[in-house]
Amino acid sequence: MPKQLEWTRRAALRLAWLGVIAASALTIEPLLKYLTSKEDRLQSPLVAYNKPLVVSSDWQNTANARVWVKQDSLGVMALVATCTHLGCEVHYQPETKEWLCPCHGSIYDLEGRPVSGPAPKALPRVAVERKADGSLMINTSKLVGMDTRL
Amino acid sequence: MKDQENFVNHIRPRFVPNGVLSVFYTFCLGGLSFLAFVLIGITGLLLMFHYQPGDRTGYNSILTIATVIPYGGVIRNLHYWAGQLMVVTVNLHMLRVVWTHSYKPPRQLNWLVGVALLLLILFLDFTGYLLIGSQESGAAATVAVNILRLIPGNVGRGLAQILFGEPSALSGSTLVVYVWHCVALPMVALFLQLYHFWRIRRDGGVRPL
Repeated sequence: MPKQLEWTRRAALRLAWLGVIAASALTIEPLLKYLTSKEDRLQSPLVAYNKPLVVSSDWQNTANARVWVKQDSLGVMALVATCTHLGCEVHYQPETKEWLCPCHGSIYDLEGRPVSGPAPKALPRVAVERKADGSLMINTSKLVGMDTRL
Repeated sequence: MKDQENFVNHIRPRFVPNGVLSVFYTFCLGGLSFLAFVLIGITGLLLMFHYQPGDRTGYNSILTIATVIPYGGVIRNLHYWAGQLMVVTVNLHMLRVVWTHSYKPPRQLNWLVGVALLLLILFLDFTGYLLIGSQESGAAATVAVNILRLIPGNVGRGLAQILFGEPSALSGSTLVVYVWHCVALPMVALFLQLYHFWRIRRDGGVRPL
């Protein structure tokens, strides 16, 4: 006959301690990932775009999710999709040709001018340069006017 | 004699009378508040590694923590909800103390300490709301600053400057609020709570913490 397991107070407490230690061990990996994350480091203001652009194309996303480029009959322009209200990322809607902010519902037209919602001004345009190999280099730290084209 | 003054020696009561362990005496509301406070302290310390105060950076760093940093969303939400829980439990704790007449002598001093703690926790909750740095935080900061400025002379103006710095109407997150929320007020709250617990024993409380 097997020895009957006796649940003393000490045994229960020991099990509880084991549970606490096991739970703490599970938090090590998340904590390391959280503390070593470099996602909020400052990024370089330069964004490269090396795919071909068609005249009168729609807005094209670059390697940086918030930087978009587009070419019209006058030239190439670049736009930063950061809402001018509180800085949320605005999303381009290709069907309606509008920029929509998910945070407070601001809407911008195709050119990035505010149409409705709390947005105070147009989405910022930034400078574009063409490098020797023909690819584009966008400098997000250099703001330009709405009519500036490359 | 020295031993009886010691805080650690007061964590557990000298004896526990029969029947006193019933949860319906206090509903563990003070203990729940302290548990929430510990959780807020740990998650708050972790948030400080990625949060950047300031009217231009505050809201963005909250968004980054909540969406991009690994496990940042869990930590931020634990901090937020433990804060909400603590505000609820400290208020219920006060109601319980009134209900069971536990503010009466010889516990008057501990009642006053409790009132101070309640005000402190509410102010910590408010400063935390400002540190989110959203538009609503900016509105709240503006209201608070304008209320303080109703105090005549330069007293109100100075008080607002000391407590909130110069929050913008669109953000509310400033370095001044950050220091109060993360360092100064939690320290005061922690030591007042330890004193609160010690007083329970000195006033004859026999329920284990």
